[in-house]
Amino acid sequence: MEKLKACFDFSDLPRLDLTIAGLVLSALLVFPIFPHSSYAMSTVIQFFMFALYGMGWNTIGGYGGQVDLGLAQYLGIGAYTTAVSMIRWNTPFWVSMPIGVVLAIIWCFVVGYSVFRLKGHYFAIATIAMSLVLKDVFEVWKFVGASRGLEIPSTRFTSPDFLHLVFTNDTYYYCLILAFFVIGLLYINWFRKSRLGFQLRSIKDNEEVARSLGINVQWAKLKTYAVAVTFVSAVGSFHACYVKNIEPEDTMSLDLSILIALMAMLGGAGSLWGPIIGAGILIPLKSYLKEWLGARAGLVGIDVVIYGAIIMFISAVEPRGVWGIVQRVRRRKRA
Amino acid sequence: MKKRCTVLLGMTLVLVVIVGIHTACPAAETIKIGVIYPLTGGAAAEGRELRAGAELAAQIANNVMADIDMDMAKRGGITSLGGAKVELIFKDHEGNPTLGADLAKQLILDDKVVGILGCYHSSVTKTVSAVCEQYGIPMINDSSTSPALTQRDFKWFWRTTPHDVTFTQDLFELFKGLTEGKVKGVPAVPKDQIKNLASACEKTEWGSQVSETIETFAKQYGFDVQKSLLYAAKSADLSSEVRSLQAVKPDAMLFASYASDAILMVKTLKAQKVSAKIIWGQDAGFEAPEFRSTLGDDVVGILTRTVFAPKVAEVKKVAGQVNALYKKNIGHDLSGASARSFTGLQTWVEVLQKAGSTKPEEIQKTANSITIPGDQLIVPWKGIKFATSGSDRGQNELGSGIIGQYQKGKDGEIVLEIIYPFEVATANMIYPFKAF
Repeated sequence: MEKLKACFDFSDLPRLDLTIAGLVLSALLVFPIFPHSSYAMSTVIQFFMFALYGMGWNTIGGYGGQVDLGLAQYLGIGAYTTAVSMIRWNTPFWVSMPIGVVLAIIWCFVVGYSVFRLKGHYFAIATIAMSLVLKDVFEVWKFVGASRGLEIPSTRFTSPDFLHLVFTNDTYYYCLILAFFVIGLLYINWFRKSRLGFQLRSIKDNEEVARSLGINVQWAKLKTYAVAVTFVSAVGSFHACYVKNIEPEDTMSLDLSILIALMAMLGGAGSLWGPIIGAGILIPLKSYLKEWLGARAGLVGIDVVIYGAIIMFISAVEPRGVWGIVQRVRRRKRA
Repeated sequence: MKKRCTVLLGMTLVLVVIVGIHTACPAAETIKIGVIYPLTGGAAAEGRELRAGAELAAQIANNVMADIDMDMAKRGGITSLGGAKVELIFKDHEGNPTLGADLAKQLILDDKVVGILGCYHSSVTKTVSAVCEQYGIPMINDSSTSPALTQRDFKWFWRTTPHDVTFTQDLFELFKGLTEGKVKGVPAVPKDQIKNLASACEKTEWGSQVSETIETFAKQYGFDVQKSLLYAAKSADLSSEVRSLQAVKPDAMLFASYASDAILMVKTLKAQKVSAKIIWGQDAGFEAPEFRSTLGDDVVGILTRTVFAPKVAEVKKVAGQVNALYKKNIGHDLSGASARSFTGLQTWVEVLQKAGSTKPEEIQKTANSITIPGDQLIVPWKGIKFATSGSDRGQNELGSGIIGQYQKGKDGEIVLEIIYPFEVATANMIYPFKAF
C-alpha cells in the first residue's frame, strides 16, 4: 500500500512540471475523440512505445549510469515469444506477454552476470556484442522463421479480439499502450525514490564508495537490469501484435538499441521526464519531417539531415539533453 | 480609417471571388493510387528507378500519346470512369517493414486511395499486403519476387512480376543448356566443370527465399551447393563473406543483393582476386544503373536475371517507344525495376478501365478475370493473367524472365545482352568469366 502511495506521490516535483505533465496527459487522453489522421495515431502510438523503451533504458542507463546499447534484444525476446505462441498455439497476448518478460529476465541475468563486471565503453561494447549474437541466432533459427521472421495472420482472428490484441481500429491499441504508459510512469516515479533507485545513483557517482557503504553493486545492477528488460520486453510483445510481422532486423537491430538510448539521452538521462521528452521530440520529428519534406516536397533524405543536425545541436549545447537545458535555465532564473 | 475599411472590404471581396471561382471550376476527377517504394536507404537507387517507371506509366495513361502502340496511351485517362486521371501518392518505406505497414494504413485511411502499388522489398510487401488484406483494399505488387507472397491465399493481392522460382529455374536451365551446348557461342561444357556452386544472399525475406530456392533447384538439376550464406545488405564490409565463398573454390557464384551491397560484393571479389567461371546476380542490385556506372568494365561477363534489357526494345516495338520516352525524361534506358513498376501501374490502369468502378469488390472481380495481352506490355511476357486458385493465388501466370550478360559493345559502351532464353539470345555468351 505504501508503495502504491509512493507511485502517485509527485510532491517533490515543481508545480509547473506537474501542471504541464497533467495538461499533456489530458490532451493524450482525449486525442482519439477528436478528428485525427491514422498517421497521427500511429505516430502517437510509436511515441508511447519509445517513451516506454526509454523509461526502461533510463533505469539502468540513466539512474545506474550503465550505458546499455543492446536493449533491443529483449524487445525481440518479447515480440518473438508473443508471435510464436500466437501463431503456433493460439496463446492470448495476456499469457504470452508475461512469459516473454520472464524469458527476457532469465536472459538478462545470463547477460548481466558477465557484462556487469565491465565498465564504461567496455560495458557498452559488450552489450552490443551480446545483442548481435542473439540476433544472429534468431536469423538462422528456423523455429522462429529465421531471417524471414514471423507473420501473425490477422485474418485468423476477428477484430476486435481483446485476448490476442487484433484490432482493425488503432484506437484500441492506443488505449492499451496509453494504459501501459501511465503504469510505466507511475512505476518509474516510485523507482526513482526507492531504495534501489538511491543505491543506483550512488553506484553511478562512485562504485567503490557505494560498495564500501555495503551496497551489493552487482545485485543492484542485475535487479535494475531486470526492471529495464521488463519494460522493453512487455512493449516488444505489444509491438508484435500491433505490427503483426516481426523480423530479427526489425526488432533486434543495433539501430533500434541506439535509438532507444538516444531518446533517453536526448531528453535527459536520469530524470523522470527525460525519455518522454526525447520520444516526444524525435518520433514526431522523424515521422513528419519525412512526410512533409521527403514524400511531399520531394526532398528525399533531407529529413535525416535535419534530424541529425538537431541531435548534434542539443548534444553540443547541453550534453545532459533537453531536461539539462531546462534545469540550467531554472538555475539561472533562481540566481 | 474609412479609407482603410474600404480597402479591406475590397480585398475581402476579391478573395471571395477568387475562392468562388476556384471552387466553381469542376476539378478534374482523379483516382488516387498509393505507391510505396524505398526512396531512401540501401535500395534508394532502385527506388528512384521504380518511381520514374510508375510516373512514366501515369503520364502515358493520363495523356493521349498516339505514337505509342499501347491502348493505355490512346485514352487520355480512364474513359470508363469519365476520363478520370491517375494520381500517384508516393511514400518511402526505407526498406523497413514496420514503416511500410504504417504507410499503408496512412494511404488507406487518410489519403483514401483506391489501391496500392509496391513495394519492391519482399519483406515490406509482406506487411503492406497484410494491411491491405485486413482493410479489404486491392494491392498490385510489381517487383517483389519472394514466392511466399502469393502462397498466403490472400484475396486482395496480385503480383505481376514472375517470382524467384521462375527466375532460379531459368538459371538452372541455362546451366543445363551449357552442358548440352545450347548456349549461343559456347561449346558444350562438361557438367563437372560447373557443378560446384556457392551462393551469398542478403538475409531478409527475399534473399533467404532465393537461397532456399537455389538449393532446391540445385538438388533437382544435380548440382552441388558447396556454400550457402546469408549476409546483411547494410554491411559495410563483405570480405569475410567473400573469403568464405572462395574457400570452397566454386565454379559458379550466385548472389541476391540490393544495389549498394551488390557493388560492394563485386569490389570485394575483385580485391580478393576471386576466380569463378560464372558470376550470376538475382536481378535487383545487379541490374541497377548504378551497378554498371560505378563498376565500369568490372561488370563485363557478369550475368543477371532480369525482366527487361534495352535489347528487348530492339525486338519489341512498344518497348522501344516507351524506352525512348523514358530515356528522354531520365537520361538512361529502362531497367528491370523501372520496367516492372511501369507494368505494375499499367496493370492498375487496365484493371480500373475494365472495372469502370473504384469499389474494391469490383476491382477484385476484375483483377481476377482480366487478361492483358503481351503486345500491350513493354516486358517480354506473354501477358498478364492472375491465378485465382491453387498454391500461387494472385500470381501472374504469363510472366517470364530473361538472363542477361554485361558485355562491351562495339562503341565501348557496356550493354546487357540477352543470353537466355536461348531462342532470343542477342549475343554469344562470355564463358568462362574473365578474372578481374
